[in-house]
Amino acid sequence: MDLEVDIVVIGGGMAGLVAGIRATEEGMKTVLLRKGQSATAYSSGAIDVIGYLPGGTMPLGSPVEGLQGIASMYPLHPYGLLGFTDAEPDTVSKTIVEKVRMAVSWLKATLLGSNIPLFGDIDSNLDAVTVLGTVKPTCMIQETMWPGSLMLDADGVALFAGVRGLPVFNPRMAAQVFLEHQISNRLLPRKAGHHVLDLAPFGNNYNISSIEIARYLDNEDNLSVLAKKLKKQVERIGATHIALPPVLGFNRARENQLALQDLTGAHVFELLSFPPSVPGLRLQRGLETAFVNGGGTLLVGHHAKMESLKSNIVKKVTAVGPRRNFKISTKAVVLATGKFIGGGITGTENGIRESVFDLMTVSESFRNATSTTPQKLTNTIALSHKGHPLFGSGLSVDPQFRPITGEEVHAAENLYAAGSVLAGYNYPAEKSGLGVAIVTGYMASRNAVDYVKGVSA
Amino acid sequence: MAKYDVVVIGGGSTGTAVARDCAMRGLKILLLERDDIASATTGACAGMISSGLKYMDEPNIVDMCSDEVVNFKRIARHVMEKNPIITPLLEMSDISSGGNFAEEYSKRAETRDVPPVLFLTPEDSLKIEPTLNPDLIASIYFEEYFISPFALCMLQALDAKQHGADIKTYCEVTDILTKKGSITGVQYFNRITDKMESAKTRAIVNAAGPWAHKIAALAGAKLELRLNKGAHVILDRRVVNVGVIAKAIEGRMIYLFPHENTVLLGTTALDTWEDPDTLVASQDEIEYLLKSMEWVVPSIRDARIIRTMEGVRPLIPTWKIPEGDVTRGYEVIDHEPEGVSGLISFAGGKLVMCRHMAEAATDLVCKNFGIEAECRTHIEPLPGNSDDVDILALAKEYGVSQHTVERMRARRGTEIVMILELTRDHPEWKTTICTCEPVIEAELRYAIRATFPQTLNDLRRRIRLGTGPCQGTFCTFKAATILAEELELSGADFQLEIVDFLAERWKGKRQSIRGEQIAQEELAQGIYACVGNLDQALERLDYDLKPWEEVL
Ligand SMILES: Cc1cc2nc3c(=O)[nH]c(=O)nc-3n(C[C@H](O)[C@H](O)[C@H](O)COP(=O)(O)OP(=O)(O)OC[C@H]3O[C@@H](n4cnc5c(N)ncnc54)[C@H](O)[C@@H]3O)c2cc1C
Ligand SMILES: Cc1cc2nc3c(=O)[nH]c(=O)nc-3n(C[C@H](O)[C@H](O)[C@H](O)COP(=O)(O)OP(=O)(O)OC[C@H]3O[C@@H](n4cnc5c(N)ncnc54)[C@H](O)[C@@H]3O)c2cc1C
Repeated sequence: MDLEVDIVVIGGGMAGLVAGIRATEEGMKTVLLRKGQSATAYSSGAIDVIGYLPGGTMPLGSPVEGLQGIASMYPLHPYGLLGFTDAEPDTVSKTIVEKVRMAVSWLKATLLGSNIPLFGDIDSNLDAVTVLGTVKPTCMIQETMWPGSLMLDADGVALFAGVRGLPVFNPRMAAQVFLEHQISNRLLPRKAGHHVLDLAPFGNNYNISSIEIARYLDNEDNLSVLAKKLKKQVERIGATHIALPPVLGFNRARENQLALQDLTGAHVFELLSFPPSVPGLRLQRGLETAFVNGGGTLLVGHHAKMESLKSNIVKKVTAVGPRRNFKISTKAVVLATGKFIGGGITGTENGIRESVFDLMTVSESFRNATSTTPQKLTNTIALSHKGHPLFGSGLSVDPQFRPITGEEVHAAENLYAAGSVLAGYNYPAEKSGLGVAIVTGYMASRNAVDYVKGVSA
Repeated sequence: MAKYDVVVIGGGSTGTAVARDCAMRGLKILLLERDDIASATTGACAGMISSGLKYMDEPNIVDMCSDEVVNFKRIARHVMEKNPIITPLLEMSDISSGGNFAEEYSKRAETRDVPPVLFLTPEDSLKIEPTLNPDLIASIYFEEYFISPFALCMLQALDAKQHGADIKTYCEVTDILTKKGSITGVQYFNRITDKMESAKTRAIVNAAGPWAHKIAALAGAKLELRLNKGAHVILDRRVVNVGVIAKAIEGRMIYLFPHENTVLLGTTALDTWEDPDTLVASQDEIEYLLKSMEWVVPSIRDARIIRTMEGVRPLIPTWKIPEGDVTRGYEVIDHEPEGVSGLISFAGGKLVMCRHMAEAATDLVCKNFGIEAECRTHIEPLPGNSDDVDILALAKEYGVSQHTVERMRARRGTEIVMILELTRDHPEWKTTICTCEPVIEAELRYAIRATFPQTLNDLRRRIRLGTGPCQGTFCTFKAATILAEELELSGADFQLEIVDFLAERWKGKRQSIRGEQIAQEELAQGIYACVGNLDQALERLDYDLKPWEEVL
């Protein structure tokens, strides 16, 4: 079967979906291929823009502050590239900030009417609390994850409430870590309690996953049981805020949050958690819905297959599916295949490779990495604020977000790349994952649309 | 000050065996281990306990090993398994130089309850192991026993404890006290209490493996060892169904052995002068092993490499011959003639011989003390080996999957009933914490309460936590909360526990990182750095750099 479109987006994580939604908004006939799961769905659902400067140890008060730092020190960082198109050097920083603001605000507006409204903006970072009780700076979170006044309230009392048989969250340790952190940094609140609820969703009392509870709570009838148990604990310790693992539901999370607040009298919020992550899945689904509602064609379980690039224009993409293959004729392509989790970048003992077009890859410091063994791009220390350069490797792009080849020219004039397939930023350390995906997806899409409009005119 | 008959230094296979034997003979024992039980060489070994392949030229050693297998089957069958092994021959010269292997092996086959060596046609070989190179001209088939090195050491230590021994982990011997040429005591740094402590003793058995020469030096005695590094590459379990032995690029024999839930590819052999704590497998070692195995298992590189693992063999000092020609026997050295009375050291030896080595050393101790006491370590079963375990019945009774119960049985034998009993009051402890292995919460709780772990790493050795393909990505934080609860750790120590465990896992993952394991690591970084923000915690938490991290 054959298809003819304006834009093919390869990859269905945050970067690809943003690119796809934007393209359909611009009237482009768009098809998006998603091979499998995305890092986006694994994410905690909090949207980081920039939490630390590369290698930094001071949490940034705001993404704006971080973007300004990147503008002056890291011109090849994906955010830095946003400043290249402007001639005036003193406006670079402002240009970058404004482009990021545009993309981030656009996403917030896009999800406003959905069941995952977002909270926050790039003028300040939020302190988000995780299931470990640790705190991390992030830019935007889903409304259900916002801790409200918890960290401003001198008389605040946090109740960390877990569910018996749900191993991802131990409320006692989380409360302890959180309180130790707040007190040693002279932050609020000064009191926290913990409790394990006997919820037994669907009659199960062990091996329970967050997903299972979220499904359980998607049924309105089940909420009152939870509310009653929580209310008792709220009264026991005088809690003003209730921290729950992220289980409030897939479809009814926001309603459930509001209802629980009503019934318990305390502010209720979800903690950041690990895969399988309900808020990450909510984000993935929310974006897919927006794309399809906007008229885009979503082909899940289809991967793009290409011969390596022979000409300067990509005209056809083959989509390989479980039952059938499509030959898709297109005017432009956005490559948003992610990094190692998404599968856009792979590493073997022979080097770091790009998996669809076999494009040149570079290390975090932009050295050719096509034949670098992955181990060479790692540090001896497992977990440190320096991260591993391996996770900053990927594609090098020009200021239009077109991948470049060794000769510093773009690989094809209508091929754009976005998201974590790009090199030059280390999201686990910087806390910039979804932010870069949004902004580069937005910009790559815009450039692709301009290109298509140009050739069609 | 506490007074002992014997202080055993080292908690590897040798030291735990010595502690058990001495304690069973009624001696008052203190075992000091600077880290955890089986944390050094023993933890890096393949656990094969009968091969003749490597020392067919030493028939008395083959006899000894064969007898030891029979002994282990009597005392520890619950932590053993028998694996078929194939040696594919691509050309006639692939037959190992010990051409009398088949004959020597078969001679002792019956006592060990294995068939004699068989020669297989290519068709039959491929039927047993389809991944073999189809160009093989024949293969040799035999069967070998394996024992879990961690379980063996732990059970020896627990049994010693039950016979009255004091077992202290995280206690590093820093000095040996002597008076007029006789041992009077030891001084050690207790890393748990953060204090120097000491104990009086009449004798010391130095079972410090590749550090034994340093211990001897503390007493002013001399001990020479030939230290030899060996590395393994650990592959995902699906690679082969049986063990494979092959000739490496320079003619040594290497192997691919099923090991617990994984497959071990090993080993290299390099003389070494480095601090064993700093060693990691090198790129050259990894490629040497892959290249050597590729001839007989061509798809080896498609397998998922989980990590590498390395140890240092404390060989008897024979020089100017290849490592493979150094005797696999052991020596028990009484330092009395050099003027240090009461100090006994080991050189050489193997895991398979540990009980035998202990018996020899304990005989010597008893002789020196003028005591007559009979060795019973080959007769009395180790804990958990008293009876058969009905997996199906237990799985049904407690509502835990058969696979989980079977894996638990392989670690604890009959003791699993005590673990499963915990789930009566706490059904939620049936929750799987480590899915790769798998391990349920009840087993974690039990191991913490009954087997004195201090860290997640210690739990890994006891219950194989975090040893599967995901290397702790999904279980580290869950297990850390349980450990923290049981040991009443502070929030800071809980976080440190996570970071320490990830550091140790990374040591082995890093050198061979490629393929799917990179995506796995991205997930781990996503969880612990990106979301957990623990990458920012190092300074705040007083993280101590690990020995292998300091080498840049
Ligand atoms: C555990 C974890 C937690 C995280 N938490 C956060 C967080 O809290 N906040 C934050 O900001 N960031 C977080 N991140 C980072 C963030 O998830 C990623 O940086 C971001 O999702 C990358 O988006 P992407 O669209 O570039 O890639 P992905 O989301 O990985 O998407 C790539 C897509 O491409 C598809 N694909 C690949 N190859 C092909 C092909 N040939 N054909 C078709 N499709 C293909 C894949 O199936 C996938 O759908 C986290 C990451 C991890 C791993
Ligand atoms: C790669 C490899 C594969 C092997 N495979 C096999 C096999 O398949 N079968 C087999 O039979 N053998 C095998 N061996 C050999 C076997 O592993 C060793 O011979 C045996 O484990 C040595 O045990 P040990 O107790 O003497 O030494 P170790 O296990 O090294 O124990 C010594 C202990 O002493 C402690 N220590 C050191 N200094 C101090 C101090 N100052 N204070 C307190 N404690 C101290 C150390 O922390 C250590 O735990 C293998 C070896 C290697 C390296």
